[in-house]
Amino acid sequence: MADKWRTEKKRPTIKILPWPAIPTPTVDEVYAGVDEKKKEYSLWVESAVRQQFNADKPESLDGIRVLDCTANMQIGHWCSSHFSELGAEVIMVEPPGGDPTRKLTPFGRQEYMFQDKNGGKCGARFLAEARNKFSVTLDLEKEEGRALLKKIIPQVDILIENAPPGHYDKLGIGYRQLSELNPRLIYLWVGQRGQWGPLKDEPGNLDPTAQCSMGFVHGTGAPVAFGGTPTRSGWWLCDQVGGTFAAMGAMAALYARERFLGHGQFVECTAAEGVIRIIDYNWGWHGMDGSIRPRYGNWDLAINIYAVNPCADGQIMVGGGHDRLWFRIWRTVGKDRPELEQHICEDPKLRVVTDRLPHYMQVETYTTMCDWTKDKTRFECETALQEEEVASGGVSFLDEVCEFPHYKYRGHIMQVDDLNYGKVLIGASGFIGMNTPGRVKWIGRPVGQDNEDVYRRLAGLNRENLSGLKKGGVI
Amino acid sequence: MTAAVSKNVKDMTFEDFCRAVFDTTKRFDKPEVLKGIRVVSTTQYILGPSCAAYLAELGAETIKVELPKRGEPMRHTTPFNEPFLYPLSRWMPDKGTGLGFFGANPNEYFLSLDFHKPEAIQIMKRLAAKTDVFAENYRAGTFDRWGIGARQHMQVNPRVIYQWMGGFGGWGPGRNRASYDILGQAQGGCFSITGWHKEYGGMPSKQTIWIMDYWGGAISAFNILASLYWRDNVSGKGNFLEYSQVHGAQRHLTDFIALYGKTGIVPQRFGNWEPLLCVHGILKCGKSSYPNSKNPQEQEVGFCLVSAYKDEDFAKLCKLINRADLAKQYPTHADRVAADAQSAIYPELDKWAADKTKEDVDKACKAAGILSQPVLNSKEVSASEHWKLRGTIQWIDDPTFGDVQTQGPAYQLSETPGRIRWAFKPVGADNEYVLSKLCGYSGSAIADLEQKEII
Repeated sequence: MADKWRTEKKRPTIKILPWPAIPTPTVDEVYAGVDEKKKEYSLWVESAVRQQFNADKPESLDGIRVLDCTANMQIGHWCSSHFSELGAEVIMVEPPGGDPTRKLTPFGRQEYMFQDKNGGKCGARFLAEARNKFSVTLDLEKEEGRALLKKIIPQVDILIENAPPGHYDKLGIGYRQLSELNPRLIYLWVGQRGQWGPLKDEPGNLDPTAQCSMGFVHGTGAPVAFGGTPTRSGWWLCDQVGGTFAAMGAMAALYARERFLGHGQFVECTAAEGVIRIIDYNWGWHGMDGSIRPRYGNWDLAINIYAVNPCADGQIMVGGGHDRLWFRIWRTVGKDRPELEQHICEDPKLRVVTDRLPHYMQVETYTTMCDWTKDKTRFECETALQEEEVASGGVSFLDEVCEFPHYKYRGHIMQVDDLNYGKVLIGASGFIGMNTPGRVKWIGRPVGQDNEDVYRRLAGLNRENLSGLKKGGVI
Repeated sequence: MTAAVSKNVKDMTFEDFCRAVFDTTKRFDKPEVLKGIRVVSTTQYILGPSCAAYLAELGAETIKVELPKRGEPMRHTTPFNEPFLYPLSRWMPDKGTGLGFFGANPNEYFLSLDFHKPEAIQIMKRLAAKTDVFAENYRAGTFDRWGIGARQHMQVNPRVIYQWMGGFGGWGPGRNRASYDILGQAQGGCFSITGWHKEYGGMPSKQTIWIMDYWGGAISAFNILASLYWRDNVSGKGNFLEYSQVHGAQRHLTDFIALYGKTGIVPQRFGNWEPLLCVHGILKCGKSSYPNSKNPQEQEVGFCLVSAYKDEDFAKLCKLINRADLAKQYPTHADRVAADAQSAIYPELDKWAADKTKEDVDKACKAAGILSQPVLNSKEVSASEHWKLRGTIQWIDDPTFGDVQTQGPAYQLSETPGRIRWAFKPVGADNEYVLSKLCGYSGSAIADLEQKEII
C-alpha cells in the first residue's frame, strides 16, 4: 500500500478555483461561422428550452403534495427529487435530530460539510437530494407523532416510506390504515429487496447491498485474466436507479388516479429490482443457454468498437458498432498509421458487423487501435475522431466535467445561490422541456426548518401545541 | 382493491396482504394505466427504445418504427456473437435478432419504414397526427428538416408530447457530437469515480450496464408521464421535451460536484470500499464457491459485502475476526471512516476471509448479527425464488420466440400493474396491423408499399 496515501495528518492545501474558472461560451461564440439555415433549428430549440426562462413557465406537478418519510437510505430522497424538481410540494419528514444520512461526509471530514446560516451542518450526499424540499421533524415511534401524521394524511397525494417491512403497518400508519383515512393516497414503499417474498427480512441497507445482490458487482470491472475483480459502482447506483423507477411507479399511480381510477394505490419499488430491469440481456442470455454474464472491463460484450482504452494522458472512449462508423474510425487512424487501417480493413474475418464480436476479434481490434491511441492525448484522439463524426471523448475527472463548456453552456452544472447554504455547485435537473421544465429553486433546508409553517398550515396547530410537541420530543 | 381482498384485509398478516395485492399471477386481471395512449417511437439503440418500452409496460400502444430489412442496429449486437433469437423478420428466417435488443423493446408493435422515401414521410405524418407521445433520437434537427419534427407535429396535433433523446442535445457547443452510453459515462465523470485507485492497481471503470441509456430512458418516461398528467388535468397542451444523455452523469454525481465546488477536491476512485461509511465494503473471500465448475465465472473466488458501520456492529465484527484490538483502536465511526483507518481495517478483514467462500463469510456475519450480502452472479440471481415470486425475473411464453426468461417491470402497483406481453417481435411484424388500423391502407396498398421497399 502506498505510503503517500497516509495523509490524514498532513493534507495538502488545495486551491479552490472560482466556478466557472473559464468563462462559459456566449451564444455568439457557439454559433460563430455557422450559416443561418444550419443554426436555425438549434436556435429554436435553445429558445424553447433554455433554463434561464424556466421561472416564467408553469410546473407540471404544481399542487401535488408528497410526504417523504424515508430516512437512512438514498432511494427515497432520490425518488422524491423527481417530484420536487417538477413542482410538487415535497415535505421531508425526518426523525427529530434529522435524517442520519445528513451526517455522512467522505472520510468523516467535517470541513467537507455544508453549513447553514445558523451553523447546522449537512453532508453533500444528503444535500444533493434535498432540492426544493421542505424539512419537518416528526417522531413516528411516538403516539402523538402518528396522530399528527394521520391529521395531515387527508391532504397528501403521495407518501413515501422505507421502514422495515410491515413496521408502519404495525404502528397503525401502513397502507391499510392510511388508505382508509385518504382513499386517494398513493402509498409508496421503497427499499433494497422488497417487503414481501423470501428475502424480505434480509436486512435492508444502503447501497451497494443491492448492487451485490442482483449481479451488477459481479459484472463490473475487468476479468481475472486482465487483473480485475468484481467492482461496485462509485456512487449509490442501485438506490438512484431504483428511486427513479419508484418515482415512475408513483407517477403512473397518480396518472391512473386522475384518469380513471379515482383512488390511490399501494406501490412498491426496490433498489435491486430497478437495476434488474435494466441490466441488459443478463436474464434472457442465462435463460437461453445458461451463460453467466462475465466481466469485460471497459469493453463491451455485444458491440465492437464500443470501448474505453488507454491513451497517452488517460483513457479515450471510441464507439462505432455499425459499418458506417467502423470504416470512419479506421480512416481516422489511417491518416497517421495507414498500416493499421490496412490491417483491420483488409481482414476478411472483420468484414461483417457480428463477426467482429467474438473475444479474439475484440482483442485484435483494440490492440490495433491502442497502437494508435498510445501516443496521442485524449484531446488529440477526440479531435481527430470527431472530424469524421465518430462518437468519442476522453474519460473526464470531476474538475474537467465541471468546466466542460457544453455542460456549462446548457446549464447541466449550475450554481444555486441558496438562502440557507450559500452558493452550492450541483448537477441540474435532468428535466429539460419547453412548457414545463424541471428546476432547482433551493438546495435544501436545515432540519425542521418548516415545522412551524407545515404544522400550522396543514394541521392547524397553534404555538401552544407546537411548543408542547417540541418539549415532548415529538417534533 | 378487489372485493375478495377487501373483505378480510384487516385480518391478514402484512406479508399475506402484500402477496395478495401484488400477486403477479393476477397482473392481467387488472386495468392498465396507459390504455388508449399511443406512443410512436422512432428510436434506436437503448436510450430511446427503453423510454418507449417503459410506457409500453404500462399499457400504452407503442409503435416502434425502424428501417426495413435489417431493422435497427441494436438487433445486430449480441454477446460474443453467440445468442440470437430467430427470425430477424419473416423475410429473413435464417438470421436472428441479437440479445442487445432485449429488455428495451417489450410489448411494442413493430413497423418498418424507410424515411428516405416521400411516401414514408406521409405515413409518419399521419401517425403523428393521432399519437399522444412521439419519441425520437435521430440527430437533432434531422426530423425537423424532413418535415416530421416537433414544430410540424405540434402544429397539426397540439396535444402531442414530443420527446427528443440523444447525446449532447440540439443546442450548445457540443450539439454536433455523436454519443453513446459509455461516452456519457466517460465524459460525464462516472468512470472517474468507479474502480480501484491507481495506487491499488486499478483504473477508471465503466458501469457494466448501459446505465446512461436505460436511466435516461427512465427519466424521460417519467417526464412524459408528468407531461401527460399536466396535459390531461391542467392545460390541455402538449410539450416538447429534450433529454441529453451526457446530462445523466452530472445528475447522478451531484454530491461530488458540490464537493468540488466547495473544496476544489476532485473525487477519486475508492474501489469496493465506501468513503462515507466504514465498515461498508466488499471483502475478497479466498475460496471459490464452485471449485469444480467448468465455467470460469464460477471458478472465481467469491466476494461478499459486509456492513458494520455502527459502533456495536463493528465491535461484533472485530470479535468475529478475533481482532478485538481493532474495536479499541477505532471506537467511533469518525475514527474508522478516515482514509488511513479504512486502508488499515479492510486488509485485516480480507485476511480473515482468505480461507472462506462468500457463503461462509455471509453465514458467519449473519450468525454474528452483522449485515452481509454475497456478490451474486446472473445464474445465482436467476435461480432466486424471491425475484421469481415478485415477477422481477420471469419466464414468459413469448408469441414469437417461445419460452424466454426476461425481466419484468421494476415496480409493483397494486391496482394497475405493468406487465410483459412479449419480449419483442421481428422487423416489420406489425406492418399490416398498424398501416390498416391507423393509416387506412388496404391489403394491396400495403403489398405495393412492400414492393417499393418503403416498408
